[in-house]
Amino acid sequence: MTWDWAFVIKILPALGIGVWYTVVVTAAASVIALGLGLALAIMESVSKTYGRAFVLFWLELFRGVPSLVLLYFCFYVLPQLGVTVPAIPIGIVVLGVVYAAYCSEVYRGSLITIQGELRDACVALHLRSYTKWRRILVPLMAQRAAPALLNYVLSLFRETAVLFAIGVPVLMGEANDIGYEHFRYLEPYTLAGAIYLAMNLPFLYVLSRFKDKHA
Amino acid sequence: MLSATNFSQQLQFESNAVDDSMDEGGAAPHAKKMMWSIEFEKVSKSFGSHQVLVDLDLQVRPGEKVTLIGPSGSGKTTVLRLAMTLAKPTRGDIRIFGESILFDADKKGLSAAQESRIRRRCGMVFQQYNLFPHLTVLQNLILAPTTVLRQSKAQAVESAMVYLRMVGLQDKARSYPAQLSGGQQQRIAIARALVMKPEILLLDEITSALDPELAGEVLDVVRRVAHESRVSLLIVTHEMRFAREVSDRIAVFDRGSIIEQGVPEKIFTQPENERTRTFLQSVLDH
Amino acid sequence: MRAVLEYWSVLAHGLWVTVWVSFCIIVGSIPGAVILGALRLSENRAVRLTSTIIIESIRAPSALVLLYWVAYALPLVPGMPRLSPITAAIVVLALDGAAYGAEIVRAGIEAVHRGQFDACHALGLSKIQGFSRVILPQALSQIVPGFGGLARSMIKWTAIVSFIGVQDVMYVANYIRGQTFDTVAVFCVLAALYWLLTILCGVMFRGLEQLLPLNRALRSSRVELNLTSNLVSESVQ
Repeated sequence: MTWDWAFVIKILPALGIGVWYTVVVTAAASVIALGLGLALAIMESVSKTYGRAFVLFWLELFRGVPSLVLLYFCFYVLPQLGVTVPAIPIGIVVLGVVYAAYCSEVYRGSLITIQGELRDACVALHLRSYTKWRRILVPLMAQRAAPALLNYVLSLFRETAVLFAIGVPVLMGEANDIGYEHFRYLEPYTLAGAIYLAMNLPFLYVLSRFKDKHA
Repeated sequence: MLSATNFSQQLQFESNAVDDSMDEGGAAPHAKKMMWSIEFEKVSKSFGSHQVLVDLDLQVRPGEKVTLIGPSGSGKTTVLRLAMTLAKPTRGDIRIFGESILFDADKKGLSAAQESRIRRRCGMVFQQYNLFPHLTVLQNLILAPTTVLRQSKAQAVESAMVYLRMVGLQDKARSYPAQLSGGQQQRIAIARALVMKPEILLLDEITSALDPELAGEVLDVVRRVAHESRVSLLIVTHEMRFAREVSDRIAVFDRGSIIEQGVPEKIFTQPENERTRTFLQSVLDH
Repeated sequence: MRAVLEYWSVLAHGLWVTVWVSFCIIVGSIPGAVILGALRLSENRAVRLTSTIIIESIRAPSALVLLYWVAYALPLVPGMPRLSPITAAIVVLALDGAAYGAEIVRAGIEAVHRGQFDACHALGLSKIQGFSRVILPQALSQIVPGFGGLARSMIKWTAIVSFIGVQDVMYVANYIRGQTFDTVAVFCVLAALYWLLTILCGVMFRGLEQLLPLNRALRSSRVELNLTSNLVSESVQ
């Protein structure tokens, strides 16, 4: 089979749709991961017993179980419970929640370093707990954790490909559908790979900037 | 082992030679066809825009003990690192027993094998000891003889034990470095360098990381090496008393070049250079 | 639940395939990781850049896309082999593991103290001798724990091999779900199995850590320190 440019042109719009959904899913899941991760880290810091146990359980669960299993679980079990949710929100929430666990670890790491440095200052200034978190700890945490968090967002982006398993039209899903429909696999898979690769570049650029600033 | 044959004769010959060269203002007496153990010729070294060494000329005779002193940052350690090929000079040439460690006869770069053969005549002891923490003392000592010199293990162990006895630590052969005091670690590091039978030994501030009470035991070992072996010593140290006692010649460094050199007596009692005087005052006052 | 357990032999077979694939990709990724990681630290800029590009291009399109490409697109390129699904899966995932592992190896080597490199050079060891006898054994104390974490992830990566027809535990679970319609039980068992595998893998790596030369050296010095401090405290009493 030889490379067919006419076919490439024909399938580009469909792949474009895949790119769009990939971006949407990545963005939405990242918001959940970053926000929920922060909430988990704060919860764990405020409640040393129950909060810590809960976060640990959450982490252990997602460290040991593939996201694909969780995706299938939600996708097949929710309808049995009478809740019909489309595939896209399921995909977004599952990836978001899994990565929230990882992100909470990152936040926690940076929180430990900050609290040591600033604990006395916060006490001396009689800051209310809310003010302390809102104005000092959270902004600093976000700043220090940014490179590591971005790394997880990049991993999350790469993992969105797996959502095609439950029918979300991410780039991988579109490429798969095209291949199946036309019995031509070379062009769609190769293009999808190239596009995924290109979509990594902005992430890698920003990460290298972080590294330069750090060094 | 470290035999003292003809030792006194050699010393005599050397001190005469040192005096001669001093009379000529330290310039290399090429005419005499003296084979230097190590020789720096117009060596410069820069890190970026910062010039650490400027047109350095320095020659060391076989068996001569030369100490480099001077304010920190004056380029002394760089001299040793260049001699050990841990860094390459920006300009100039360095020769070990007449052979360049930078170029072959056609002025081209050396192959790894050539370089390794020449640099094997040099050994180095570091400020931070740099013992291999995952190996026992004995394994530290026999690693290079077995891998580089291809000695049999029995042979290497035998010679290692000789040097361990010399530094007084034969009972620590099976210990790991982390189980030893800093002074003991540094004595092991000296033994590790000596088992390779170097003809030139570079000692880079070997007592700077040690508490004063531990420095003594290390310096005692160096004294023995200086008196009992024919190895050339190139020493960087801040221990002025030790430098005076052990060296045949002292070279004073300032801002990347030698501002004065001569026998210890002269440097310490009648320094000619104003900067040398200020420097010696500042360190000897403490 | 009981219906699901009736399929235990199928499940066991699928589990075996998952274990086998995991084992192959974890072991298979090691040489690539060491080589790529060492090249990342080369003094030669071109070598460094090339290895970085290789690592990033393997990681960038995610294992799943790479897997489909190798399984379905690669055989269409003239002169390229048609790999069996399980071979394709092992090749792709081992490559991906090597790319991620390379960063762990690089960081581990960079953590070895600069003076150790100097000492190797001063003793006349060649680059290869110094790397294999001195640098790598010390770096392993950092690399092995990092690799343990990666290995746990790699077990999870194997879940995607069912897409190209490898009959691993995920594939079998989907089959049993089709037979019994007991989705909850099937996926709970599946999750538990993966979870157990990753825990076991973690335990094995922790055991491996105990055997590393530097850890052994530090442990024996700690034991001695404890002994002497015990002696001291006893003599004080």
